[in-house]
Amino acid sequence: MKIPLPARLLAVPTLLLASAALAQTPAFPAYSGPPVTLTFWSWVPGIDKTVAAFEKVYPKIHIKWSNVGSGSAEYTKLLTALKAGTGAPDVAQVEYDFLPDFINYGGLVNLTKYGMSKYKSLFVPWTWGQVSPQGSAVYAIPQDTGPFALNYRADIFKKYGLAVPKTWAQFAADAAKLKRESGGKIYFSDFFSTYAPWVMGLAWADGGRFWTHSGHTWTQSLNNAAAKRVMSFWGKLVKAGEVATLPDFTSELNSALAKGQVALLVQAAWGPGSLASTLGSVSAGDWRAAPLPQWTAGGHFASGNWGGSSDVVTIQSKHKQAAAIFALWINAAPTAVALNWQNGGLFPADRAGLSLPALHDPHQNPSKFFGGQNIAQIYAQASRGVPVNFVWAPWFLYANNSFNRYAAAAVSGKMGWAASLDAWQNDVLSYAKGQGYQVKGN
Amino acid sequence: MRRRLTPYLFLLPFFIPFLVFYVASILYAVYLSLFVQHGLRPPIYVGIQNYLRVLSDANFGSSLLTILKFGVIQIPLMLLIALLLALYLDGLKSAGWRAFLSGSYFLPYAMPSVIGGLLWGYLYSKGISPFDQVLSGLGLKLNFLGSRGLLWSLGNIITWTWTGYNMVILYAALRSVPAEVYEAARIDGATSGQVVRYIKLPMVAPALLLAALFSVIGTLQIFAEPFVLQSLTYVPTDLTPNLYIYVTAFNYGNFNYAAALAVSLSVITFIFSLAMLWLQSWQRRRW
Repeated sequence: MKIPLPARLLAVPTLLLASAALAQTPAFPAYSGPPVTLTFWSWVPGIDKTVAAFEKVYPKIHIKWSNVGSGSAEYTKLLTALKAGTGAPDVAQVEYDFLPDFINYGGLVNLTKYGMSKYKSLFVPWTWGQVSPQGSAVYAIPQDTGPFALNYRADIFKKYGLAVPKTWAQFAADAAKLKRESGGKIYFSDFFSTYAPWVMGLAWADGGRFWTHSGHTWTQSLNNAAAKRVMSFWGKLVKAGEVATLPDFTSELNSALAKGQVALLVQAAWGPGSLASTLGSVSAGDWRAAPLPQWTAGGHFASGNWGGSSDVVTIQSKHKQAAAIFALWINAAPTAVALNWQNGGLFPADRAGLSLPALHDPHQNPSKFFGGQNIAQIYAQASRGVPVNFVWAPWFLYANNSFNRYAAAAVSGKMGWAASLDAWQNDVLSYAKGQGYQVKGN
Repeated sequence: MRRRLTPYLFLLPFFIPFLVFYVASILYAVYLSLFVQHGLRPPIYVGIQNYLRVLSDANFGSSLLTILKFGVIQIPLMLLIALLLALYLDGLKSAGWRAFLSGSYFLPYAMPSVIGGLLWGYLYSKGISPFDQVLSGLGLKLNFLGSRGLLWSLGNIITWTWTGYNMVILYAALRSVPAEVYEAARIDGATSGQVVRYIKLPMVAPALLLAALFSVIGTLQIFAEPFVLQSLTYVPTDLTPNLYIYVTAFNYGNFNYAAALAVSLSVITFIFSLAMLWLQSWQRRRW
């Protein structure tokens, strides 16, 4: 829809940008320097197409993209290169949860020097809080978000007469019913025991807070009430054999999904895209998305967030201005946002991007894989339900690894589900103290 | 003068890389271990503080304990299989068969441990593995990569890789026994069982201890196999000391503390080796 703009509004472009209804192209900075080549690390599928589009707009900036691994695999390389003083890329993808580790490490450029703070209003508010944790310095440009929704097999739900759960109580009832009706052949869902941010995201939706800080004094509460509620809930379903514990991103889970042995996943917004590309034509059209169940029916709708990334500029970059422009453009230009969604399934952190027609096109993936359902709308609603203030500690790399040990102990029955969080809290607390942080448990 | 220098010149091609890549890197690790560095800020000299932390590090302790339990079962089992294979080969009449079989047993060792780890990893994976398909057809549900099966599966990979290597050491020791010794035994009326018990076993005992020494050192250093399995299942980061050192350095970016851990592991390995060597000299005095 085109709206003729009153002239006085044009004079205040920030107001325009704040309005998500107007897919107005923001004024991106021009690049007037000499021709440069930037290196870029990212594991977003098909990001090369966005890169190509960028090079058309900025012919003097050439990008050398490489996928050096996703998540931890990339962080290991990035950390080592930063430490070595050479070998780090100009621009790199980093998830929000791991940003404080890299900021604290001293490896990232404060982008306010390159004029990036004025683009704050372009992005979903909580994402800006993530890239600018102290409120002044800006260490990254938000790329995408991962608000939670359900991804379920409509055919399995229909066959066994299951209702899409609106509350967690109904979720548990469905899980029990499916086990009964299918003779235990189909798991209702899957608990991602090797992804702390998944569990934390579910607790996030329920108001759980893992870290707070004032100045240099931190308070850590990995075993907060919301997190315990989430763990106990899933623990009951796992123990009953109603929910699987296949680790995400493994051939084990993919093979179970392809065989139709898992009926539902609690997935972040980038999940449908990777589901579509992993499963290809298998079960295509059978999937649907639905909002995250709530603890109490009829209250304020809440969702959590899992992952989502940003693009950082490293201190080793010799062309920081060009790198900052690149990081901004590939995450905020309408062309880039549309390409990122279609090729990489990236749910934009860019506010105007949320209403781009490309996101709501039923004939394109990932919507096509979901039977033409407007899944972007489900996830946009989820995005609005994510509580804004969420802080990650600069020792999250450790906390993330350490979680797996206690979750594995819970899954194998060596430890109680809620109690595993207490053990995790103590382990991480002593690590953080050992690293010299002023931190107390709560 | 010239004559005295010549042998040292010949040693240079060995000594230069040895000093640069071996001695220097150890010294550098020792140097690193005396500092604490937060991120990219300047390092602070802390003396032995990192080592004091090693002593109370539960993760490092549990990795040593795990590997100890692992070694107590895996090393004797592997050496027993290697010994039986060596005795079998030694008893074979046909030289052609001997060469063929010893080559076959040795083959897994020739495979890079990363490739071996991946190969077995897929043989262990649920839904992909042919073993799993056969076993689940028989109604058996085994999770090779689960928290209970992981160490056994790892032991199998290590045994598969190293049995042939140890077999070669033992086999070479057996072949070096002079033929006259056997001849004399046979003339004295020894049965083949007695030949094994009273001649072959005492003769290979030093080689067996050597193989055990290599195995203990190798076990303390296990890294590649569990590292590769990480992509297929949850592997605790403190499963083996080296895995924990790697994670500390490269995942957490704490290179100084990792250096202290590495130096400590070397000292522990050194103590174990000394103990084994002492055992060997004690045994020599006895026999």
